[in-house]
Amino acid sequence: MSGPRSRLIGSPEPRRKNRELLRGEGTYVADIRLEGQLHARVVRSPAAHGRLLGVDTSEALGIPGVVAALTAADIDDIRIPIRLPFAESPEANRVLQAPLATDVVRYVGEPVAVVVADDPYAAEDAAEHVLVDIDELEPVLDLAASSESSQPLVHEHFGSNTVNRLAYRYGDAAAVFEQADVVVHRRLRVHRLAAAPMETRGLVADFDPASGVLTVWGGAKVKHFTRGLLSTVLGLEPTDVRVIEVEVGGGFGTRGEPYPEDILVALLAQRLQRPVQWIEDRWEHMVATNHAREQEHDIEMAADRDGRLLGFRVRGWCDHGAYVRTQGLLPAVLPMFHLPGPYQWQAFSMDLDAVLTNRTPVGTYRGPGMTEATFIRERMVDLVAAELQMDPVQLRRRNLIAEESMPFTFMPGPGSGAVMPIMYQGGDFPAAFDELLDAAGYDQLRDWRREARSGGRHAGVGVSAYIEFAAVGPFEDVDIVGDDQGVVIKAAVGSLGQGIETALAQIAAELLDVPLDDVAVEFHDTAELPQGFGAFASRSTVLAGNAIAAAVDEMRAKAAHLLGCAPGEVEFRGGVATGGDRGSVRLAEIGPTRGRFEKEGLTASFGGAVCSVSVDPADGRVRVHRFALAHDVGRAVNPRLLRGQLAGAAAQGIGGALFEELAFDGNGQPLSVTLADYMMPTAAELPDVEVAIIEHGSGSNPLGIKGGGEAGMVGSFGAVANGVADAVGEGAEVLSSSVSPARIWHALNDPSEPAGTGKPAQEA
Amino acid sequence: MTGSGSPHPWLGPDEAAPVALTVNGTALEVRVPPRRTLADALRDAGCTSVRLGCEHGVCGTCTILLDGSAVRSCLMLAVQGQGHHIETVESLAGGDGLGPLQQAFDDNDALQCGFCTPGFLMLIESLMRSEPGAGEERVREVVSSNLCRCTGGGPVVAAAQQALASNRDGR
Amino acid sequence: MKPAPFAYAAAGTLDEAVELLGEAGEDAKLLAGGQSLLPLLSFRLARPSHIVDIGAVEDLDSIHEDHGQLRVGALVRHATLEQADLHGPWRALKEAASLIGHLPIRVRGTLGGSLAHADPAGELGVVAAALDAEIVLRSVRGLRTVPAGAFFLAPLMTAADADEVLVEARFPAPGDGFRSVFEEFSPRAGDFAYASVAAGCRMADDGSAHDVRLALGSVGPTPLRAREAEEALSGSMLDDAAIVEGARLAAAGCDPAAGDWHAGGEYRRALVANLVERALRRLRQPA
Repeated sequence: MSGPRSRLIGSPEPRRKNRELLRGEGTYVADIRLEGQLHARVVRSPAAHGRLLGVDTSEALGIPGVVAALTAADIDDIRIPIRLPFAESPEANRVLQAPLATDVVRYVGEPVAVVVADDPYAAEDAAEHVLVDIDELEPVLDLAASSESSQPLVHEHFGSNTVNRLAYRYGDAAAVFEQADVVVHRRLRVHRLAAAPMETRGLVADFDPASGVLTVWGGAKVKHFTRGLLSTVLGLEPTDVRVIEVEVGGGFGTRGEPYPEDILVALLAQRLQRPVQWIEDRWEHMVATNHAREQEHDIEMAADRDGRLLGFRVRGWCDHGAYVRTQGLLPAVLPMFHLPGPYQWQAFSMDLDAVLTNRTPVGTYRGPGMTEATFIRERMVDLVAAELQMDPVQLRRRNLIAEESMPFTFMPGPGSGAVMPIMYQGGDFPAAFDELLDAAGYDQLRDWRREARSGGRHAGVGVSAYIEFAAVGPFEDVDIVGDDQGVVIKAAVGSLGQGIETALAQIAAELLDVPLDDVAVEFHDTAELPQGFGAFASRSTVLAGNAIAAAVDEMRAKAAHLLGCAPGEVEFRGGVATGGDRGSVRLAEIGPTRGRFEKEGLTASFGGAVCSVSVDPADGRVRVHRFALAHDVGRAVNPRLLRGQLAGAAAQGIGGALFEELAFDGNGQPLSVTLADYMMPTAAELPDVEVAIIEHGSGSNPLGIKGGGEAGMVGSFGAVANGVADAVGEGAEVLSSSVSPARIWHALNDPSEPAGTGKPAQEA
Repeated sequence: MTGSGSPHPWLGPDEAAPVALTVNGTALEVRVPPRRTLADALRDAGCTSVRLGCEHGVCGTCTILLDGSAVRSCLMLAVQGQGHHIETVESLAGGDGLGPLQQAFDDNDALQCGFCTPGFLMLIESLMRSEPGAGEERVREVVSSNLCRCTGGGPVVAAAQQALASNRDGR
Repeated sequence: MKPAPFAYAAAGTLDEAVELLGEAGEDAKLLAGGQSLLPLLSFRLARPSHIVDIGAVEDLDSIHEDHGQLRVGALVRHATLEQADLHGPWRALKEAASLIGHLPIRVRGTLGGSLAHADPAGELGVVAAALDAEIVLRSVRGLRTVPAGAFFLAPLMTAADADEVLVEARFPAPGDGFRSVFEEFSPRAGDFAYASVAAGCRMADDGSAHDVRLALGSVGPTPLRAREAEEALSGSMLDDAAIVEGARLAAAGCDPAAGDWHAGGEYRRALVANLVERALRRLRQPA
C-alpha cells in the first residue's frame, strides 16, 4: 500500500449525536406521538405472593376515556423465553414468566392486567379501578434458606425453589485445603441493585391492518430477538414485525430485554388497530424492570505461608427472583465464570444455586456476575493477606497468572456440570497490574493513608483485580452500502448511549480510507438491517467492528473480480477501489456487501481498580477520594469514548457500593420505590475517576478488540469494600458489598443489628 | 363537586382551562385540566426536551427555567404556570449550532445517552445567570441537584466550570 | 405516576384564599410552592377533592424584624431565606433553608408549605421548634397563633384546621447575645436528613450559656425539644464535658423508635449525639 492512510482506529474522535442531544432534539420513545395513539397502564400485583382469585376490569372499563382492558384470560397461555442458549436449562424453562399472571402472583409489581385509555392520566385512573382479589401466601425472601423444607414454594408445580445447581471443579480442592497453612472462611453478601437508567422503559406499537405490519418503537438492545418473539406471539411473519430503535436514555443491561409489557403493548396494538404507547413510571421501574446482583456466598480460601493462593471452595446462592427471565441462568452462570479471576489456583470447587424468591426477577446489569464475583474473591484475598500479615498488593502480584502461561485454561474436572471451560486467551496480567498501580499512584496513596492516620483519621486504600469475560457470539452481520454520499454501515447491534455509531464509523472509515464524515451508521430499524443479536456483554464494537472488516474483505474480493486483479492489489481510497493498473471502481458500483464475524466463546480481559477512602466512625459515612481503574481493551477504537464508558461505569459502581440498595420488608414489599429511597450518587458524592486503558491485543479477532463498555463497574465493589475494610481495620468486618453509612456505623458500633450483614433490611 | 353556587371560579376536576405561558419568548396557550403537570403540558405542546425521569422531583431531568430560575417542571401544575416565563433548552442556541454552555458539555464529554442533558443545561444556565462567580464547590453542589447515570456528573461539573470561566472572561 | 383528579381555584388575595378553603371542605389542600404536595399527588398518596392555589397571594412573602421578633411570611421561598441577611439569633433559619433538598426545590418551596407539611425531617419545623416560633393561622373565622410546640401533632399532621391558611411564622425576640446554628446528617447532598439539630443559646459575658435550645428532627413523630439536655447545659460553660453530657442526654431523650430501613433507631440516636456535639461546639465559638 502506498500513501498515508487515515488513522482513525485509536483516534479520540468526538461522539456523533452530541449536537442533536445537546439541543434537546433526540427522540426518545415517550416523544413519539402518533395519530390516534392510546396509552396503556399495567395493573400490578400489590402482594409478593398470593393466589390470584380474580381480576375484574368491568368498573375500569366504565371510566371515561378507557378503551380496553386485558387480563390473562384474554390472551394465549405463553411464556417469555430465554434468549441465550447457553443460559437455558430444562428446569429454567419451567419457571418462565407469562405476560400476565394467571393463578398465582409471585412478586410485588407482577402484571395482572393492562388497561388502555386515550390519555395516560385516564389510564392510571382506570388501573386503580381494576379489582384484584388476592389470597396472600407467605413469601420466600431468604436466599440461603429458600431450599429448606419449611419454606413455601415460589412455583408449586416446579417443586423446588432451586432452579439449578451449577457445579465447577478444578483440581483436587480437598487435597489443597489439607496442605494449606492458612484457611479463611466467611459468608459474604452482595446487595440487590437496579441499573436505573434515567429513562424508564417504554414502547409504542402500531399495527397497520392494510399491510399486516406491526411496528414497535423503543426496543433497543436485542431488536431481532424481540422481533422474532413478537412475530411468534402475534402470529405474524418475522418480516412483518419491525422493531425500531429510537434514542435510548441509558441501557446498562436491563433496558431493551423483552419483558411482559413488550408483548402486551404489541398485542393491544394488533387487537385495537390503533397505536398504543406505554411509558413505565419510576415506581413501576423499581418493581418491574430486572433487578440485579443479590447473592450470598459461603466461601473458604486457602493459602500457604509464603503467600501462594492455593484454592477456594464456595457454596453460593444467586437470586433469580420470582421467574427466570430472558437472560436465563446468567445471574448464577456469570458469577461462576468470574469467581476464579486472574490468579493461578491449584484447585477450586464451586457450587452455585440459582434460587427463586418472591421478588422482582433478576437479570443482568452492567458487569453482571463479574462485579459480584470480584467483590467476593477480592474481599477474601484481602482477608487472606491480613491472616498472612502480607501486603494485599504483594499477595495479588505473586499469584497473578504469568504471561508465559497463556493461553490458560481452568479445565473443568470430575464433578463439574455441563460447563464451558474457563479460558484466558492472553495478556500480561502482572504488567497490567503494575500499570494499574502506576495510574493510581499507589505509593502516594499509601503515603496519604499514613499521613491521614497519623492525623487520627480512618483512612484506607483498597485494591481489586479481575477478569471480565465479554464479547459473546455467535456472530454479527454488517452490510456496507456505497452511495454518492459515501458509505452506509448497517449493523444490528444497538446504541444505548455508548457511542457505538462513532466507533463503527471509525473502523469503516479507516479500512475503506474515506473521510469519517462520509460514513453513516444505521442500526435503528430491523426492516433495514441484517440479522443480529444486539448490544450486550460488551460485544457491539468487537462483533460488529470485525464484521465490518469482513465486509471490507468481501468488497475487496468483489472489486478484484470486477477489475480483474488480485484482491491484494485492491486499494480503497475516498470511495473508490483501485486495482493497480486495472483501473478503478466506485464503492457504489460494487453494490451492497455483507460481512459476518463469527465468534466462539468469550474474550477475557484483565483489569483492576484502586481507591482511597476515609470513614467517619461517628456517622459511618464513607468517602471515596480517589478512584483509578485499568482495563485491557485489546485495542482502543476510540479512547475518548472508552474513558467515558469506563469512568461512568465506575461511578455507577461506587454509588452502588456507597448508597444504592433495593430493600424489602418482611412481607416482600419493596421499600426502594422512589429515587429518594433508591439513592443514586450525584456529583457531590463521587470522586473523579482516573482511567488507564491497557492495550494487550487479543488473539481472538482480527481487529484485536476486547470489551470495554461495562468493565469500569467490575472492580468497583471489591476496591471500595477493601478500602473501607482497610480504613476501619480491626474495628469491623466488611462482609457486604454495601458500605452504606448505616451499615458501616452498625459494623463499627453494633454488629448485632441486621444492617451490616448484607441482609435485606426489615422495616420497623 | 365544583362548589356549585360559589362566587369563586372553581375549575372542575376534568375541566380544561386555558393557561397562558411564555415559552422561550413566545406566547403559548395550553388547555389543561388542573391535575396536569407543567412537565406534561409542555411535552404535549411539543417541548419534548423536557424529559420525565422520575415525576417526583428527585432526578431533575425535567428542569426548566421559570422566570429565570431553575425549577422541576414535574413539581408544578400547568395551571401554576399562568403568566410565567418558561425557558427550555431550545432557548440556548439559535440556528442549528451550540451555545457556549452546550459547547462546554461537548468539550468535556458531559453527556452520553443525552436523556438528562437538557435538565442539566437549564440547571447550570440558571447558575450562570444568578451566580456568575460560583466556585468549584458551589458548582458541584448545584450540579448534584440532578442525576446523571452515565457519567456520574463529574464531567458535568467540569463543563459547568468551563462555561462559567469563559463567561467571566468574555465580559 | 399522574395525580388523581381534583377541583382547583387560584386565590388572588388572602381573603379569597380563606373563603375558597372554607367552601372546599375537609378534603381540600392548599398549594403554595408545591414541592411537598406534588410528589404526594403524583404517587396518589394525597387525593384532595379541591386544591386552593395561594401562590399568587400578595403580602405573604416578606421577611422582616418587628420589635426584635422575626416575621417570615408563608410564601417566603427557601432560596430567599438561604440568601437572606440572617445572622446571630436567626442563623439556624438560614442554614436550615440552605439544606432543604436541592436548589431547584428551594427556588419553589415555601416556609409555609414546609411547616404545614409537617414532615419530621423538615428542616424549618426543627428550627421553629427550637426558636419557639408562633405559627399564625387564618380562616374566615379570623386569626389565631399556635406555638410550634403545639403545632406539630404527628407525621404530616398539624394543629391547623382544614379551613385555615398558614400565613406567617413569628420568631420571638431572643435575649441579647442569642445565637443559633443548624446541623444535619444526610447520606447524599439534598437527601432527607437521618437526623438534624437546631441549637441556640445566649452567651453571657462570662462565657456561660443560657436559654439553651435544642430541637431534633427525623428522630420522632414531630420535631422534638431535648429539654433535659437544655436544662443540663443552661448555665454551663459549654466545656467539652458539658457538651458530651448534653449530647448524651439529647440522644437518650429522642424517640426514633426503630427508625426505618435506611437508618435504624440506634444509629439515629448516635447521629443525634454527634450532631448536638457539633452544634454546641459551634455555639461556643466567638460569633
